[in-house]
Amino acid sequence: MCDRQVEKTIRLQEDIIGARQAGRDLARAAGFGTVDQTRIATAISELVRNALLHAGGGLCRIAVETTEASATLQVTVSDDGPGIPDIALAMQPGHSTTRGLGLGLSAVRSLMGGLSIESRPGRTTVVTSMTRRR
Amino acid sequence: MTTLAATIAATIADREAEIREAWFEQIEALAGRMELPHLAQSLRAEAADFLVAFIGALRSGESDLQDDGLAVVLRKAAEISAARARDGFTPSETAAFVMSLKDALLPVVIAAYRTAPAELGEAITGANRMVDALAVETFASYTRTREEIIERQSRSILDLSTPTLRIWNGILLMPLVGIIDTQRAQQVMEAMLTAITREEARVAILDVTGVPVIDTRVCLHLTRTVAAARLLGARVVVTGISPDAAQTLVKLDVDLSGMITRGSLRAGLAEALRLIGSSVGALVREAS
Repeated sequence: MCDRQVEKTIRLQEDIIGARQAGRDLARAAGFGTVDQTRIATAISELVRNALLHAGGGLCRIAVETTEASATLQVTVSDDGPGIPDIALAMQPGHSTTRGLGLGLSAVRSLMGGLSIESRPGRTTVVTSMTRRR
Repeated sequence: MTTLAATIAATIADREAEIREAWFEQIEALAGRMELPHLAQSLRAEAADFLVAFIGALRSGESDLQDDGLAVVLRKAAEISAARARDGFTPSETAAFVMSLKDALLPVVIAAYRTAPAELGEAITGANRMVDALAVETFASYTRTREEIIERQSRSILDLSTPTLRIWNGILLMPLVGIIDTQRAQQVMEAMLTAITREEARVAILDVTGVPVIDTRVCLHLTRTVAAARLLGARVVVTGISPDAAQTLVKLDVDLSGMITRGSLRAGLAEALRLIGSSVGALVREAS
């Protein structure tokens, strides 16, 4: 249907703004409500900042897939950083290696409804998506 | 090959006046299309300037634009397109400006080689290549200038000062606008703590209406600022959290229970007045 995709390279602090703005715009275009738009933008903010903090940058891809019955927005953030040694531990609320709150990943999971992480040294890919019924 | 290229260069150089006229006509038409007729004059000046450098380079025998000898021309092209970028030209308008040289150049080349059809093809290719190389350089420099402008702007947005306003006896207001990164949060905290001490404020209102996304990092900075202010004996009231942000914040699972939050600045001010045990009516009575 009217599928769209945006790719943002993340290298600087400012790129975080660009990525979440793109996510908000795509979500709005796909008919997500303002609450969902805010959730999506916040989730992108978390993931992209993780890539920036832990890997010095990465790539953020936001794709929208629309069918008759639903619209799905998928966010994929990948980086070539050191990787996440223990994914289960990283997902635990309160665990942080950078003296942050350690809530980012668990927040993304509850904001978006799902989260999958694939990680090895040199390649980490985090995928999350939100679906809206029409 | 080299000799032929040199002849082409010489042919073009000899017809400088002709080309200038033709280019001016093109520019006139271009400015007309862009509905900026007053621009034609400055464009003509730039074009004339540029053509002198271009012809000068051709005369010196540097017909290959890859050559260092034409660095002057390329620099000129870069200067012009940088000026175009600052003037707010679109990329296609900037490209159209340089490409209009080709429209001026080709008829002259074709006319010059009418008698030597065998060399015409190569002459056209040569002229094309020169202008194309210029256009590529122009475009690259246009993009560079734009990127510099964007970078400078985003830096200046980050550098926006964080004002602290004393809105009542003992009450400070800090409106936060834009992205809150670590560096910015540090500024905010410093400004706030200094102001609290200076004004002997008991309440500081932190208005986050202008913060586009409140994520866990922003929450971290907020909680730290609140804790630091508390050490100075001041309470922080956070206002301006939108309904959307509120629904997102509960999902973040961040503990904000230690923070006083109000939806609107008005409600925040009322709470601040309550905290210092004052009210507008009382103060108005006091003053009169």
